[in-house]
Amino acid sequence: MFAAIREASAEVWDHRDLLEQLTLRDIKLRYKQAAMGFMWAVFMPCLIVLSGLIIRYAMARLSGATLVRSDIANIAVKGVGWAFFVGALGFATASLVGNASLVTKIYFPREVLPLSSVAAQSFDTAIGLITLIVILPFLGVTGRLTMIWVPFLLVLLVLFTTGVSLFLSCANLFYRDVKYIVQIVLMFGIFFTPVFFEPSMLGARGAHLAMLNPLTGILEGLRLSVVNGHNLAQPLTTVIHGAVTPVWEPWELLYSAVWAVGGMIGATAMFRKLQPLFAEFI
Amino acid sequence: MTDTSVEIDSLWKKFRKGERQDSLRDLIPATIKRIVNGASPASELRVDDFWALRDVSFSVQRGAALGIIGHNGAGKSTLLKILTRLLRPTSGTYVTRGRIGALIEVTAGFHQDLTGRENVFLNGAIIGMRKAEIARRFDAIVEFSGIGDFIDTPVKRYSSGMNARLGFAIAAHLDPEILIVDEVLSVGDYTFQGKCVKWMQDTLKNGTTVIFVSHNMDAVLSLCDTAVLLNHGEVRAHGKTSDVIAEYYRSGGGYFPGRRSDVRARTVAFASTHDDVEMVQPGERITYTHTFVADRDCRLSPGIQIRRDRRVVMQSSYGRMRGEPISVAAGETVTVEWAASMNFPGGAYQVSHYIEDADGGYHDYEDGARIVIVAADPRVVGDYHVDLELQVHAPLRCLTPL
Repeated sequence: MFAAIREASAEVWDHRDLLEQLTLRDIKLRYKQAAMGFMWAVFMPCLIVLSGLIIRYAMARLSGATLVRSDIANIAVKGVGWAFFVGALGFATASLVGNASLVTKIYFPREVLPLSSVAAQSFDTAIGLITLIVILPFLGVTGRLTMIWVPFLLVLLVLFTTGVSLFLSCANLFYRDVKYIVQIVLMFGIFFTPVFFEPSMLGARGAHLAMLNPLTGILEGLRLSVVNGHNLAQPLTTVIHGAVTPVWEPWELLYSAVWAVGGMIGATAMFRKLQPLFAEFI
Repeated sequence: MTDTSVEIDSLWKKFRKGERQDSLRDLIPATIKRIVNGASPASELRVDDFWALRDVSFSVQRGAALGIIGHNGAGKSTLLKILTRLLRPTSGTYVTRGRIGALIEVTAGFHQDLTGRENVFLNGAIIGMRKAEIARRFDAIVEFSGIGDFIDTPVKRYSSGMNARLGFAIAAHLDPEILIVDEVLSVGDYTFQGKCVKWMQDTLKNGTTVIFVSHNMDAVLSLCDTAVLLNHGEVRAHGKTSDVIAEYYRSGGGYFPGRRSDVRARTVAFASTHDDVEMVQPGERITYTHTFVADRDCRLSPGIQIRRDRRVVMQSSYGRMRGEPISVAAGETVTVEWAASMNFPGGAYQVSHYIEDADGGYHDYEDGARIVIVAADPRVVGDYHVDLELQVHAPLRCLTPL
């Protein structure tokens, strides 16, 4: 398995110029076709944040509380992360089948196709992040020491997304309806991932269940370290209706890391093993 | 150190003819049914295996050019796809030494919405060039393609010829050690084709190993020293190009319609002044003798036909030459002699013979009984061999070097 991973990384490294060119192609085409230009990159996160705000407003009204600025910041931070995950998977799942004419005619390490989808999405998300950095001070978020967790969390997010992308692009090549299943799962996935809500709102048991989602640790970690200034090495609890409910538990970080690294290793090995069959089955 | 750049040892490749479940919607119910009923997977899917390659072995020396020929479905493309790592052989091994460049579907990596310039970098990277390499050769690529100022126009506005020329130009600058070519020398107009052939010859001179797949026997003949003939996945012939091409035409199958007749005539011998495969100069004269016999008294018209691939370049018969058939007595052996000047451009020609009877029935047609290879005249290109001469009438000072 590790020989396969070494081979894959060596070959992709050899073809890093190809990865760059394919990423550039994806970015150029996205911005060439969209009249909105760079707005494309902020449009999707904006929609997510707006949806979140409507839901949070309704929740706040019912419980008699008011919506505060940090709530908006919370949703914005997690929304950008979620938009990256959804966008990358959407493009990556179709990346092998969409480039069938290349896959059947020219040899190159096929990993570069889903990887370039993730890279092109990273470019969009980078624009979203810059926008976020500009907006956050107006939402009451200032520079904090706990933000040193952010690069680590972003690496985990990219690793996890890449692993899932490799797996899904490969699965979609062999079973064409995977694409539709992914679309549906991503559409409803936002309700199973704490983007609009926080795990603690579900009570102690619900929170633990929500933490089983590998994205929970990453998105909640981003929110807590950026907006709340919480050190992720420390657990955090809150009291809701008199019951102590977990907000953050340090093992979440380890749990997400295991998923991200393990997923990446497993998906790369699987991709390598099946790659020689691509041209035949596509 | 070894001097072979491609070694293929007993390659086998199996394909499945049957339907494959390519959606989870079909797979999941089928799997559940299988588990519940305990049926074997084989009964669910009718799988017909067929061998696209059977025990193919050959090697190519460094710097040599090997032609691969064969009829459609002979396994040529499968073999190339294995050599270019697109397919994995079912069994057998192969070794390639050096960077492989493939001139197969040279525009596959183009994106229609990108400009020519962007596509040069994209396609160059796809076929395995580094960015710096492409940048260094960019001007040469544009120059070779003849695209000129259109290089900054989106490729979708190009004509199909421009597309192919740019694709070929990129691939031609990959500078590989092993070059695999599949039917691409026919892109662009006459000038560009000439450029491609010249480029191929230069590539060969530079010591690049070439594997050339084509249905164009003339091109194979002019570029390759040795050739392999594939037939239903097997190597049918391997050796000198002209011999292999002769074998290719012989295995081609019938061409004439066989019409019923009461007369039975058969050819006893068909010989020529040359060996089995004739190598001649354009315009050289060849004589064929055709000996035949009939089982009853009748009127027959022996004929001869010369073809280049599927195109008949010359056909005639006794009846056409003399106005009426020849009277033959039962059991009598008759010999006719044909003499023809090979006023053809360089290439491979198949000579066939047949016997026609008075009822219009054909007897004993032998397709490609002889193969004539006309040597190419490097001084002329074109579809006909004309005995071209050049004379200069000019003041003497024009001829003296300045």
